[in-house]
Amino acid sequence: MAEVNLGQNNLAQNSLAQNSLAQKKINKYLQDLTAALRTLPSEQASDIVEELRSHIVDKVAVSGDMTPAAVDSALAALGRPEDLASLYLTDDLQLRALASRSPLLILRSLFRWASLSFAGFFVLISSLLGYFLSGALIACALLRPIHPLTAGLWLIPNAEDYEISLRLGFGSVPPGGRDLLGWWIVPIGLAVGFGLFFLTARFGLWSIRRLRRARRIGAH
Amino acid sequence: MSASLAKAVSASSDKWEVQVRKGCLELAILAVLWQGRLYGLEILRRLEDGSALIVPEGTVYPLLSRLKAEGLLASEWVEADAGHPRKYYKLTASGRRRALQMAEFWSTFSSNLDDLLAPLRLVPPRKEDR
Repeated sequence: MAEVNLGQNNLAQNSLAQNSLAQKKINKYLQDLTAALRTLPSEQASDIVEELRSHIVDKVAVSGDMTPAAVDSALAALGRPEDLASLYLTDDLQLRALASRSPLLILRSLFRWASLSFAGFFVLISSLLGYFLSGALIACALLRPIHPLTAGLWLIPNAEDYEISLRLGFGSVPPGGRDLLGWWIVPIGLAVGFGLFFLTARFGLWSIRRLRRARRIGAH
Repeated sequence: MSASLAKAVSASSDKWEVQVRKGCLELAILAVLWQGRLYGLEILRRLEDGSALIVPEGTVYPLLSRLKAEGLLASEWVEADAGHPRKYYKLTASGRRRALQMAEFWSTFSSNLDDLLAPLRLVPPRKEDR
């Protein structure tokens, strides 16, 4: 009689241990997911995590007891937490970028695409270049009044040919160089700079929309 | 046909099937929610039972979240008998409009494509190309 009881106790303890191991696995997965979602507002991230906790618990309940094996198969069906988070983040960033048109959000969104596809990488590099060049043109136009002799678009003789150089005016006049635009750098720099900035943003947003559509159809 | 080419063709047709499934997933989700609110796992079950849409679970939840962000779905947490709350989704007014648009497009599109496919159905299956 005593032995039978002991056996039952062992069994109960064993299943308790199994249960707590299973819970630990779920918590570990959700912690990893939370960590991967850290760039989202915390309310949004915890909403996602709670939804998936509810999914996992329901999924395990269907298969019977809360065992580590049942949890493993439920988690495997969801995929790695990093991949899952990446799907959420990509969508979220794109929607925010499309809504705000902020260059920072556009670049962040493209940066995420760049890690997913070659097209995304190409668009990221072009956008970085576009923003950089537009920034340099605007800076040059604004610095001209401060460095009237040196800021501008310069044609500078090299050993064999010429190079064209956009100088912000820090440093000295390049020897033999010719200031191509003179004071015209101010209106031209501002116009071309802001134009390029606008075009780069348009290109980035257009690409994000295209990429979103492509992904909805399935090409990843 | 060389072995590697045959392999490539079969891989690309697998990929095509994946793309078709993925492309239809959004419509399928809107369709299963037409009659009322459901939570994630219920949506998954309906999709699996009611269609050949083999859905990776990990893609459905982010998709639900995107559809919500686009204003096509609304969600609410509901306490359940299971002892934990569940997040239910339902169509918004704009979600219903979108579902109708997509369904209409799909009907036209698939019946047109069916017409194009009609000659293929005259070919007895499994016959070698000549």
